[in-house]
Amino acid sequence: MYGWIWRHLPGNTWVKALISLVLALAIVFLLFQYVFPWAEPLLPFNDVTVDQGMEAVR
Amino acid sequence: MATGTTVRWIVRTFSELCLTIGSLIVLFVVYVLFWTGVRADSAMDGELGRLQDRWSTGPVSAASPAPDDDKAQEPARPAYRDGEPFAVMYIPRFGRDWAKPVLEGTATGTLQKGLGHYARTARLGATGNFAVAGHRRTYGDPFKDFPRLRPGDPVVISDGTTWFTYRIDKRPYRTLPSDIGVIDPVPRASGYDGPGRYLTLTTCEPEWGHSHRLIAWAHLDATSPVAEGRPAALRS
Repeated sequence: MYGWIWRHLPGNTWVKALISLVLALAIVFLLFQYVFPWAEPLLPFNDVTVDQGMEAVR
Repeated sequence: MATGTTVRWIVRTFSELCLTIGSLIVLFVVYVLFWTGVRADSAMDGELGRLQDRWSTGPVSAASPAPDDDKAQEPARPAYRDGEPFAVMYIPRFGRDWAKPVLEGTATGTLQKGLGHYARTARLGATGNFAVAGHRRTYGDPFKDFPRLRPGDPVVISDGTTWFTYRIDKRPYRTLPSDIGVIDPVPRASGYDGPGRYLTLTTCEPEWGHSHRLIAWAHLDATSPVAEGRPAALRS
């Protein structure tokens, strides 16, 4: 997978390394900005109230 | 020959996959443990700043008589707006500098920016139960030291015009997530036997889990106008 990407990047080794770095940073940014904020509420740390999903009871 | 290449390709792809998943998990842990705190701290600072701005310019801070407002002798206090900050909470037990904004509502996004007031519970200082939820872990860990609350501890809340000093009455009480009776006007299991001006704090228990909730109750002990300076509970 990574070898395939490397082979398809243009330029010489230095240009490839630079593009790889930029790609990696872009992926980390996308994860922190969009993917993780979406995934995190699915974990239990957010359940701090006593009435979640119980509005109808009252 | 061909089998050797195939096996090598399978092994390589599998290791790359493991590396990728491992990096993802590490990044996610960094996000949960560190980045949510950074984001929440700046969001809470932002909410505190908005409150300060509103109190220094808006009508809330008009403790001086406003003669042009003739029709409302006793002006109705503004309704809490969902997701908006309306007060600042101080709990000296959690640290001298511990000050968090209280926002209206307990939606996920609201609790990421501060403490959340259960929308259908009483207003601050009113008869009934002013109930507030907060994160124990992640998003700035506002209620990290929740189990250290002890009877007599002050919980001071300012709405811009008045300091409300509540006193904790019991050690934190552990209950189930469905136990909504704990935020009733006279909270269940709190030991209070009649109507009063109560405060309920809720957070998760255990620290990183969601199987239970931790509850702390307090009663209104004293109020003082903001103009008179910080209350005794914050001055020590």
